[in-house]
Amino acid sequence: MLAPAKRRMIRRRLLQAIPVIILATFIVFGLLKLVPGDIAVTLAGDNATDARIAEIRTMYGLDQPFLVQYGGWLMKAVQGDLSKSLLSGEAVLTSIARCLPNTMLIVVLALMLAMAIGIPLGILAASRPGGWVDGFVMSVASLGVAIPNFWLAMLLVAWLSLSMGWLPATGSVPFTENPWESLRHAILPAVALASGGIAEVARQLRSSLVEVLSSQQVRTLHAKGVGPASILWKHGLKNVSVNLLTVISLLANRILAATVVVEAVFAIPGMGSLIVHAAVQRDFPVVQGVVFVMVLIVVSINLLTDVLYSVLDPRIS
Amino acid sequence: MSQDLIRAPLASMLDRRSFLALVGAAGAATLAGGSAMAAEPKRGGVLRLAASINPSSLDPTTGGSGFDHCYLWTMYDTLVEWDYDTLKPKPGLAKWSFPDPKTMVLDLQPNVKFHDGAPLDAEAVKFNLDRSRQDQRSNVKADLTSVAEVVVTGPLQVTLKLKNPDTALPAILSDRCGMIISPTAVKTHGAASDRNPVGAGPWKFVSWADNQKVVVARNDNYWRKDRGFVDGIEFNVIPEQATGLRSVVAGQNDMTFSLPARLKPVIAKAKELQSISAPTLYCIQFYFNTKRKPLDNLKVRQAINFALDRDAFVRATMAGLGEAATMTLPKSHWAWSEAASKLYPHSVEKAKKLLEEAGFPQGIELTVGAYTDQDSVRRAEVLQEQLGKAGIRLKFTRGTVAEISANFFNQGYDMLLSAWTGRPDPSMTYALGFDKGAYYNAGREATEELSDLIRRSRESENLKERAAVFDKIQQITMGQALSAPVAFQYELSAMTPKVKGYRPNLLGKPKFEFVSLE
Repeated sequence: MLAPAKRRMIRRRLLQAIPVIILATFIVFGLLKLVPGDIAVTLAGDNATDARIAEIRTMYGLDQPFLVQYGGWLMKAVQGDLSKSLLSGEAVLTSIARCLPNTMLIVVLALMLAMAIGIPLGILAASRPGGWVDGFVMSVASLGVAIPNFWLAMLLVAWLSLSMGWLPATGSVPFTENPWESLRHAILPAVALASGGIAEVARQLRSSLVEVLSSQQVRTLHAKGVGPASILWKHGLKNVSVNLLTVISLLANRILAATVVVEAVFAIPGMGSLIVHAAVQRDFPVVQGVVFVMVLIVVSINLLTDVLYSVLDPRIS
Repeated sequence: MSQDLIRAPLASMLDRRSFLALVGAAGAATLAGGSAMAAEPKRGGVLRLAASINPSSLDPTTGGSGFDHCYLWTMYDTLVEWDYDTLKPKPGLAKWSFPDPKTMVLDLQPNVKFHDGAPLDAEAVKFNLDRSRQDQRSNVKADLTSVAEVVVTGPLQVTLKLKNPDTALPAILSDRCGMIISPTAVKTHGAASDRNPVGAGPWKFVSWADNQKVVVARNDNYWRKDRGFVDGIEFNVIPEQATGLRSVVAGQNDMTFSLPARLKPVIAKAKELQSISAPTLYCIQFYFNTKRKPLDNLKVRQAINFALDRDAFVRATMAGLGEAATMTLPKSHWAWSEAASKLYPHSVEKAKKLLEEAGFPQGIELTVGAYTDQDSVRRAEVLQEQLGKAGIRLKFTRGTVAEISANFFNQGYDMLLSAWTGRPDPSMTYALGFDKGAYYNAGREATEELSDLIRRSRESENLKERAAVFDKIQQITMGQALSAPVAFQYELSAMTPKVKGYRPNLLGKPKFEFVSLE
């Protein structure tokens, strides 16, 4: 059960999300309209005539003033109707409902990988700072930060899929349809997404852990005769948990953004592919819908982080 | 129709390995006691394709992208069909005749049913043609402007009353306008017909998930038994073509098509893949805006055409998988003009001299719209270098296809480096790209003589007579240098060995009706 203060905080954060969503969608809508290029020309097709293009503009309301178009979209969105794709006529909600699970699967898997590998590495490095293990782990971590994920993705495909034939090279399978195949498809993209994250988690954890372990508090604990294991697990990690949480929540948002590139390399029909395709074609209802949902996700991640902060450290409210 | 104008059919060019494989297969068939010709392709299996572009619509009347056809052909039969190698029209759902120049009669194939069971009869065809001509959402109105009225003159006969003679109609009816959709479905679904296609083709629509997958399944009641061998086709939409090809190498898909030539070495490196390449009408070219200075000057436009080294371009950017374009039609096309083809042999000297005569001894600078994809950038670099030698300096603005094309056709740049995707009838190409007021003619102007010839190109049904008119048209468009064609791109597709019977076509929009899986 949450304390009333916390409930108040959550309510306040949710209210703050509203202007963020409006601002984000407004800016994106504005950018789409500012960039030259006209979806009416695409819609008119290969045999376009000036008259047909004008006709299409009227038909889709593309000749309306900017604010009227945005207002129209917003009014519908508020009522839960994210409109239809101008290009293909598919309901934006349907597209998102199909694409979002594909993206979330690789994002969650990547986050889990980043933590499962990054945290032990960070602890290992911090336990003997300056030792050869530390040096080795930190060099590998630097490499992880430096390697672009799309490049790593292509290497992984070339090696594990095309040469060895162990894992599928492209596509995705819904988790609900076949969990095993779904994971097999998701593992390579997740590794590519996680590479930078592993390095980041390891480095950040190491530096904050080293700082805590060399603090006066830990020296006192040593003096009191507390064993090294207990110092590390009970006192050390507890003290760096807030830092770690910050790193992970920032990482989650960044991995979400990185899916745009990785989804293209692996031909995963996710949110990233959806928005890229729509933005290139100026299919603004789809772009708006994806931005809307993405903002919601990012706001929720931040909210969840804030709630967890106060759980980990009751002084934070 | 005269046959002599149909130039030697283009054998699709298989690479050596695939050719040997075919010879081997034929040999094996002969050994087995039957001739390769008589061997009936195996039925069954699902053909999995990597396709690079999501359909714009699965309703032929409302769609707009040239890539749609590969999806549409599977679900819709067309009134008219064409020969794969020459695009010469031939009967499909209908046989046609012109009892007089302003009347076209279509006699329909009996006992054809749509996927929903409704009969494909004269009423259905009239409904379709009227819809293409008049529906607010129709994108193909311009194709049927010559039609004054569509009359049902029998249960299986439709008569088109024409405003003016139009012998391009058979070819036009082999394209979007000739794809017949079930009237019941259109009436039931309304605007949702885009996503609920009901035709009479070899396969029925199953599902379409945007940017992900289009699935079709066999139509058991299909009226022809000599095609439509696979049980179903799955189009997996993979926009990045290198990724699409990887999915075939990894065995997740059986085939991918319309690949850029730069992927040829990748196909060659994959041990198991066969590749097929063949000429198409896809013409990479510079569009000119003849209204803007200095391109309003004929000598400048001619200088550009002389400065282009088209053969070098094909070698440098297309790995040889292309044909130098001396006009908007390739050499194998029935309306190709020998006279026009000789107008611009590559000569930097001549280009320089023409520029000097035009009053630009110091050379000129031109603004060019171009696209951001890898292949476009490569083309642009080669052409910039070629024209630079003659003192023609290009200043590129790059962006997406939608953005740059719209900008150019609305007077944004002097030139556009893009492509013309070709049409089933050459008169469509000239009417859409060069006629007065045509959208793809950025200057929007045309001489009386040219407009008149374009109209006349649709008057005769005799291909020889038509070719003579096109000869004149091409001598004008090239003589006046209204554009600078550079090269025709070949269709390049890659498939696993189990894919049999795929035949590329000159239009460059794949049909899978003869494909079978082993």
